[in-house]
Amino acid sequence: MIISWGPQHPISGQFRIILETDGENVLKLTPDIGFTHRGIEKILENRTFLQGIVPVERLSMLDTANFLLAYVRAVEEIAEVDVPPRAKYIRTILCEISRINSHLYALGLIAEACGGYPAIFLWTVADRELFLDVAEMLTGTRWSYSFFIPGGVRRDIPSGFKEKVLEVLDYFEGRLETYRDSWLENELFKRRARGVGELPLDKAVTLGAAGPTLRGSGFRFDTRKDEPYEAYEDLDFKLVSMEEGDSYARTMVRYLEMVESVKIIREAIENIPEGRFRVRVPMRVPEGEAYVRVETARGEVGLHMITDGSIKPYRVKINSPSLRNLYVLSRMPEFSRLLVADVPVVLWSFDPWFLDADR
Amino acid sequence: MLIDEILGWIKLNLKDLIQIVLFPGIAFILIFAVAATWFERKYLAHSMLRIGPLHTGRVAGWLQIIADFIKLTGKEVITPRNVNVFLFNLLPVLSVCTSAIAVAFIPFSSDWIIYEGNGISLLLFFAAASLTPYITLMLGWISNNKYSIIGAMRVSYVYISAEIPAFLAAMGVAIMAGSFSLIDIVEAQSRIPFLIPQILGFIVFFIAFLAEVERVPFDIPVAEQEIVAGWRTEYSGINFGVTMMMDYIPLCTWTLLFVTLYLGGYQGPLIFASQTLSNFFWILLKFSLVIVVILLFRSVFPRLRMDQTLRLTWKYLTPAAFLNLIITAIIAYYYPDLFGLIGAS
Repeated sequence: MIISWGPQHPISGQFRIILETDGENVLKLTPDIGFTHRGIEKILENRTFLQGIVPVERLSMLDTANFLLAYVRAVEEIAEVDVPPRAKYIRTILCEISRINSHLYALGLIAEACGGYPAIFLWTVADRELFLDVAEMLTGTRWSYSFFIPGGVRRDIPSGFKEKVLEVLDYFEGRLETYRDSWLENELFKRRARGVGELPLDKAVTLGAAGPTLRGSGFRFDTRKDEPYEAYEDLDFKLVSMEEGDSYARTMVRYLEMVESVKIIREAIENIPEGRFRVRVPMRVPEGEAYVRVETARGEVGLHMITDGSIKPYRVKINSPSLRNLYVLSRMPEFSRLLVADVPVVLWSFDPWFLDADR
Repeated sequence: MLIDEILGWIKLNLKDLIQIVLFPGIAFILIFAVAATWFERKYLAHSMLRIGPLHTGRVAGWLQIIADFIKLTGKEVITPRNVNVFLFNLLPVLSVCTSAIAVAFIPFSSDWIIYEGNGISLLLFFAAASLTPYITLMLGWISNNKYSIIGAMRVSYVYISAEIPAFLAAMGVAIMAGSFSLIDIVEAQSRIPFLIPQILGFIVFFIAFLAEVERVPFDIPVAEQEIVAGWRTEYSGINFGVTMMMDYIPLCTWTLLFVTLYLGGYQGPLIFASQTLSNFFWILLKFSLVIVVILLFRSVFPRLRMDQTLRLTWKYLTPAAFLNLIITAIIAYYYPDLFGLIGAS
């Protein structure tokens, strides 16, 4: 039986899977993307470097800061601009807030995918509000920040920001324990997620998985450690990875990364250096080429930019983590037994964001 | 003439009519379906840090369910192509009727029961309640939809696997009471409810009947995240409203049976002047408490998978129910005095 699973399905998202099943067993799984294709790469060719900030953020609504950082860093690398350290710290803080936002939503979605509309989904949504408020205090908007510009950030930290952040983090650490007790330690959730959608280490590497999917299979790789950018070099945080490679491990990696993100924000906001928060970057960026890697919530994004000396980039190519993870998902039935009931759990344990897969 | 005859007939059968039309018959079941829907929405909303229905009807949105129902009646009833139109529209109504019949065998007081069933009302309850899965299976099958057929197959699997342990557990109670009559079973619990001597059967029956009424964590046949809405995917408008009531009517009848078998049914201290009213109060109180617990599961548990449910019911619940039955039978045969100690026959 061939089932068209999505795009009008309670939990498929803007996305479709063509499932070939034998009863409840999944024989073949073909992701069908492209429902949200907007041609962002082409749009970027027709925008100046400042105007390009807005379309780039539309790659991922949950994790706007990290994607924008890739674009901004590419411009800076070609223009050979040294960003002041204060701006680097502010960027790091906002990127980690963005990562927590995304991981919280992913935790809620995996709960939702396991069924029954459990309370945890709306708890995570409610707790995201706090981080959106923090981001609003810093940037003026809730999630589409447009806050990083080539040369630094738009604004300095407002007064009272540090106290507000520490207050939110104190509350959020308590909430993280609630999530662990009520969901990750939930016996039925373990039964639904453990051993489901197992991705062995060799398959994860050869098929090109990214981010928590790769780390959930035991491959210790994180761009923040591998090639530190912004303030990550100075900050002390652990690289999270799990050995099992199943849906539970991927969920757990995201949860532990939230714990680490809280630590990073705490350390960054305590040690934020004084100085300028922005330097001037000329409108015309010289001719050049740059490939920038940034660890987003879904994995490493690679942004390749070529400029020709005008006020617009000549070509921007984005290598997005969601697309790579969806390819891994499509090969999943070859090495892991899947049932129809497992499809939503495995899909949302990969945490794809179809906007950045389609671009 | 005719009117006089009708009035005379009504006067003669007044008690039966009240039982069938008002309590515990049609009106009670419909009010329960509405009230439970409202309560579930409010209760889940608070557990999820939401508020739930608020404005309709001024007080806690109590009119929202009625408003939703009126909205559903106004919607277009879409019948898919290539289905049997007659059956497609008949079966939802039929499923509600058959599942509601089972309430007729539940005693709400020693003299307040629609049909006593000649002393085998427990068996009649199972006979009536197990009609429903056939109809839901047909519902899914004739919908001509892939999600519906998967849901229909899941209905049959879950019902068969859950009904056997539930029935075996109930047989333990029947042995203890020495009767298949639900009134006798309740009377046998006058000193101590069967919850305590039948603790193993109690656990088995509770899990199995959750699976029978399709509540979380066993809402597999209508699993929204997997198969959209299961067997009811193709239904729209008022037909959909009727199939939604199928969530609550089996819940009502099976919970009443659960209360009757294990929690002492209508037994309780006299708190009103009338014994009957007091009995109504106690059975409805116990019933409401069990319903609240069951509804809470929805905000706590994820859904079990099909194979996990079958493994649970066949490998653990059924042997446990058999064990319970054998122990009860041995005690009943060799040491009948033990039952006398706790008041059972």
